[in-house]
Amino acid sequence: MELLPQALVDGLMLGAIYIIIAVAFSLVYGVMHVIDFAVGEWIMFGAFMGFHLNRLTGIEPFLLLPAVFVVFAGVGYLLQPVLQRVLSGKRGNPLLMALVFTFGLSLMFRGLAQTFFGFYSLSTPSRLSTGSFFLERGSFFLTVSHVRLAGLAYAAVITGGLQYLLKYTDFGLGVRALAQHKDAAGLMGVNAKRTSGLVYAIYVGISAMTGVLIGTILSVSAKMGPEYTIFAFFVVVLAGMGYLAGVPAAAFLLGIIQSIFLIYLDPGYTLLAVFGVLYLILLVSPTGLFRKGV
Amino acid sequence: MRDRRLVGSLAVFAALLLVPAAVHDTFLLRVCTEAIMWIGLAVAFDVLAGYTGYLNFGHSAFFGIGGYATAILMARGWGFAPAAAAGGVVAGVGAIVAGLPTLRLRGAYFAIATWALARGVQQLALMMTLTGGPDGIRLPPFLQPRFFYYVMLGVVGATFFLLWFLLERAPFGLKLKAIREDEQGAKALGLDPTRLKIQAFVLSAIPTAVLGGVFAYWVTFIDPASALGDLVSDQALVMVVFGGMGTLIGPVVGAVLIFAFKTVFWAYLSEYEVLYVIILGAAIAASVVFLPDGVLGQLLHRRGPTRPATPAPRPVPAAGKAEG
Repeated sequence: MELLPQALVDGLMLGAIYIIIAVAFSLVYGVMHVIDFAVGEWIMFGAFMGFHLNRLTGIEPFLLLPAVFVVFAGVGYLLQPVLQRVLSGKRGNPLLMALVFTFGLSLMFRGLAQTFFGFYSLSTPSRLSTGSFFLERGSFFLTVSHVRLAGLAYAAVITGGLQYLLKYTDFGLGVRALAQHKDAAGLMGVNAKRTSGLVYAIYVGISAMTGVLIGTILSVSAKMGPEYTIFAFFVVVLAGMGYLAGVPAAAFLLGIIQSIFLIYLDPGYTLLAVFGVLYLILLVSPTGLFRKGV
Repeated sequence: MRDRRLVGSLAVFAALLLVPAAVHDTFLLRVCTEAIMWIGLAVAFDVLAGYTGYLNFGHSAFFGIGGYATAILMARGWGFAPAAAAGGVVAGVGAIVAGLPTLRLRGAYFAIATWALARGVQQLALMMTLTGGPDGIRLPPFLQPRFFYYVMLGVVGATFFLLWFLLERAPFGLKLKAIREDEQGAKALGLDPTRLKIQAFVLSAIPTAVLGGVFAYWVTFIDPASALGDLVSDQALVMVVFGGMGTLIGPVVGAVLIFAFKTVFWAYLSEYEVLYVIILGAAIAASVVFLPDGVLGQLLHRRGPTRPATPAPRPVPAAGKAEG
């Protein structure tokens, strides 16, 4: 029991990272109706870029975040038209084809990463990861490393930034209009092509940036992708599809499940536990934790 | 037209029955046996992917469940046939249990849920003592290549023609296609999508598991990496997409082509295992962009419309309405 507060706090900090991934993920889903299977691979690529830039230049990984964002947003912006082409194909089930397409990409990315970055698990060093706060009350104690706190701050900044972008800018208004009704938004003068491209770019950029963070807090490896794809999906389904306000609770739940398994049980069972929880919740309430999903 | 295709399939099946008489090379027979297995796996995958519009990445889980059930039961003294059949039953029940909540999810979410399921099952097999953990299970060796060729052919042939009847002849196939095209619309017409989807899931899982059982007995050894790895689902997906989704012949063509490529690749470049995965991924992405109807669809279009044209494209779904 002494470790319980530690498990909860660790879980909350992991959850903060999952919020970011899930919000970007659902943003793309809202606008393009695409589930990107490659989300975990964007995270992985971002993490590797952070790792190698840090090794080459010695710059603190947190300062590298903007550079990673810019590079991957560019990649996303260039890739989006291809995805759009699949989506607007004249075939019966374009959404299924888009899913298959991103799945193919994820497979290819994972293979490329294994070829170029090797099979080993690495970790990006950060000056913040050496320090930590230590609390003790009776038999309970708690360690909070600086790097995890910085992760929490990052999560708050990104969520706030996205909130501002969506609620208070013309671009955000266009995004929300597009998510509501594509054709009508087009008639009202929203440039659907450009807006979807930018949304996809923002999503890829944010995912890659979050990857850098995961690389400093947890680890980087060429095979890390699928785990995060599953987590992103878990959070979105648990929150209720299309119900963004449910995302934080679902993300924190996932983080806590993960850290409890890490501390008390075998971490090898994490995915099984994740699937088990998802299974039970869907069985009881198919529209997510809050019954607010679609 | 459909009759001609059925006659053609029967002719191919009859020709395949004669293969062991002509092929005396054990390696070649082995390649043929595995090719037939992949045809079966691809066709079973297409029931859910092509006809119903749901991607099932748990395909490998059912393959492995069949293999493990057969191995465990045979270690307890069961005969091969009842053990493999029991594997099919276990997978069928598993499909109902797993499908009940997950098939409520819309297409894309179902795909990732089954992906998580596959990984969960793999972890379970790695941890449990019943399955021998990472070491896997050995089966009593039975070195009769022809026996396995005929068993594989029998299972795949039975699956193919049963699916032909159910999906191309009986109303069941049309009902599944209705769900694929518009789930809400299908519901409005009085169909019960959840029930039909679960039936399709079971129909896809049982042959997959039986093939897993035959595979386990054939290679006499099964472990989590080989039987439950992602490769089974990934390869079945690329075969279906490359060959032509939503038909029964397409996956067969795709399976033969992709498996031939795989055999040649492994023969000459076996040290580049990762390269194979890269090519697989690139092939999936490229066939979606350039061959949306698969190789088969492309060939048929070249020759002009020999079948009723594919249904008119649906308008882009409005917001809040995903694929059916």
